[in-house]
Amino acid sequence: MSKRNKAADRAAERAERAARAAALKAEQERKEKRRRLLTFGGVAAVLLLIVGVAIFLQTRAGQLDEGAVVPAGSTKDFGMQVGDADAKHEVVIYEDFICPACKLFKDENDAALEAAVADGTARVEYRPLNFLRQYGDYSGRAANAFAVVLDAAGPDVALKFHDILFANQPPESGPLPDDAWLIEKAVEAGATEVEVSEGIKGMEFEAWVENAAKTATDDGVGATPTILVDGEAIEFDGLSEALE
Amino acid sequence: MKQWIGLLARLITGGVWIVAGAIKLPDPTSSIRAVRAYELLPESTVEAVGYALPVVEVAIGVCLVLGLLTRPMGVLSALLFVAFIIGISSAWARGLSIDCGCFGGGGEIADATAKYPLEIARDVGLLLLSVWLVIWPQTRWSLDAVIFPPRAGEVSPPVGDREEWDVEAQQGR
Repeated sequence: MSKRNKAADRAAERAERAARAAALKAEQERKEKRRRLLTFGGVAAVLLLIVGVAIFLQTRAGQLDEGAVVPAGSTKDFGMQVGDADAKHEVVIYEDFICPACKLFKDENDAALEAAVADGTARVEYRPLNFLRQYGDYSGRAANAFAVVLDAAGPDVALKFHDILFANQPPESGPLPDDAWLIEKAVEAGATEVEVSEGIKGMEFEAWVENAAKTATDDGVGATPTILVDGEAIEFDGLSEALE
Repeated sequence: MKQWIGLLARLITGGVWIVAGAIKLPDPTSSIRAVRAYELLPESTVEAVGYALPVVEVAIGVCLVLGLLTRPMGVLSALLFVAFIIGISSAWARGLSIDCGCFGGGGEIADATAKYPLEIARDVGLLLLSVWLVIWPQTRWSLDAVIFPPRAGEVSPPVGDREEWDVEAQQGR
């Protein structure tokens, strides 16, 4: 064998080794890439599953609670109706006991509403809601207390309690009144402490209040106050016009 | 350095997402009202978005804080902030006075217009942090670094950071 051949063999061997090394490296890289892809897919799949289950639970939590206790004297639309059933107009007021605009609407329109109820022009349905939960639990507690008073002491006392709560509305920033305060106001309206105390403290109609909020939301009520006259939403200062 | 900024971006954006989502989770109905108040999405999708959004926000937040799938999460986060910025700007432009519903609440409120600029500015800031994570997804203390370790021979962390790392290592940090 000549020297030249030996040199050529060595070169070929080197080239082959290099090729094998390159192939091995490529194979490793391919495997690594695959591993990364699988890991990524796995993590993404688990995340999607968790998110999917959580969204499903959220939709479940958004359904009406069919087992909710309903206060006596309430309407099927989660309110309390005042006035003659065959009055000319039907006024529906979605309100929140901590909503300042609701208090303002009430202050400006109470006299007209009372007159309209008295002369048979309108019947009024108050539907208290717990929309303003971002300001604490007063919104929900007051709505529940209203239901408790309606259930235990009837519509006249409940309406009075409703008016007292708005007259003494706490600011959204607090301090928020406690249960004892709500009970005191209920008694002031004409209920007895024994009949309302437990229901107020124990949030007896919490589920009903929740159902009210869900139903109102489904019906497109986005904020309080929302006032409907004969089923049509009116502007904040449009009541007298709508009742003509 | 970029990796430290990335960590900070992850914690801030992720933290905001977690808080924003967690506040809304217990009250899905309110979340639906907040979405509806923008009057942007077709009514048929409002409910689904209202239910899904808080969950998605928390998920993105947790992933960002952990540093899990940082780049895709950064993309999602940035897209959502773009959507929110468009939503708030459009509400502002149309003269709507609504609570942005960013951290719970939502619906019509009085004098919302005064709050819009700050809300948009905040979302722009968070959008920029999210974009940072899309461009430079490798960050300190991330789960990504554990489950997707840098390949052998790959220049990672980037050269600049590696030098910094070595200096820190020498200093016994």
